[in-house]
Amino acid sequence: MMLLRGFLWLLGFQLLGHAVVELLSLPISHAMAGLLLLLAWLLVNRRLNESVATASQALLPLLAMLIMPGVVGVFFVFDEFAGHWTAIMLALVIGTFLSVLTTLWLMRRFMPSEAGSPHERDRRP
Amino acid sequence: MNALHASLLDTPALAVALTLAAYLGGVSLFERMGRPSWCPAVLIGALFTAAGLWLLRYDFADYQRNVAWLTLLLGPATVALAVPLYQQRQHIFALWKPILCCLPLAAGLAAFYAVLIAWLLGAPPAVLASLAPKSVTAPLAMGIIEQIGGSLSLMLGGLLITGVLTTIFVSLLGRVLNITDRRLLGFALGVNGHAIGIVRAFELGPTAGAFASLGMSLTGIFTAVFLPLAWRLVA
Repeated sequence: MMLLRGFLWLLGFQLLGHAVVELLSLPISHAMAGLLLLLAWLLVNRRLNESVATASQALLPLLAMLIMPGVVGVFFVFDEFAGHWTAIMLALVIGTFLSVLTTLWLMRRFMPSEAGSPHERDRRP
Repeated sequence: MNALHASLLDTPALAVALTLAAYLGGVSLFERMGRPSWCPAVLIGALFTAAGLWLLRYDFADYQRNVAWLTLLLGPATVALAVPLYQQRQHIFALWKPILCCLPLAAGLAAFYAVLIAWLLGAPPAVLASLAPKSVTAPLAMGIIEQIGGSLSLMLGGLLITGVLTTIFVSLLGRVLNITDRRLLGFALGVNGHAIGIVRAFELGPTAGAFASLGMSLTGIFTAVFLPLAWRLVA
């Protein structure tokens, strides 16, 4: 019952997100709005409802399986984007290289050093 | 026989069963291969699904229509992402300053670099829109694609490639720049490489893993809120 109750909560927030997005014509997806509303609700309440925790533990490991039918489509769009694959691959490779470089550089600049933080250093495996 | 074939293809049960079987097969082959970071389990599962569709002479559009019974769960599963984010709030509150300085820029540039390069190489708008959410976790990226257009399949393919490239580049650049701070490496993995980066980060240790999850969630939310807005202004 805990799982069902939690699932109903999640659906409720998704529908609430749906209503907010449509009423205010926001440029975000319904589920994304539901996520933000649930997060706001949790932050205001400062307490994680046990049924919501149960349902999210059940659903989150399924995410990879749930996106897989979309991934299958990759094998059916080769012709649709013929002629653009060089641009796509170069954009992915060079773009990812540059963005990883930028992130590491920015973080090294702005992150306080580890000694000053409350987090323990991981032990080497 | 033909009537049976047609009626089986027409029921959502077959599409759902094929998807579950292919996914479980993909995961088990992935485990047997020693969990290679260059080949995510979902990619193996997708190959199995495609092979199944071909063997069954199942039209891809029909499959998509029927499997929607299963992928309906994507909505509540996306909403559920708020829970791990809520559980990480103390990291966010403790480090709000560096996060505020780095995250918008890092997440923005992750999208910008790829779109710019593809645009310079003459890619059409549909390709640019499909590449823009390349560092966003898949469920949120699917929401972005709904907003800005583009091909869902191309976007997901780009997402997987980006995740794999991120694990390679973070190890490489971490060594070149002499970065050993697990928080930094983890964050960079999550910001750029979404769920695939997180898997790699947990191999580095729990701190790297926690920062990768944080980086992924914040990048996803930031991009999902601002990218459609920016897209509207530019397009």
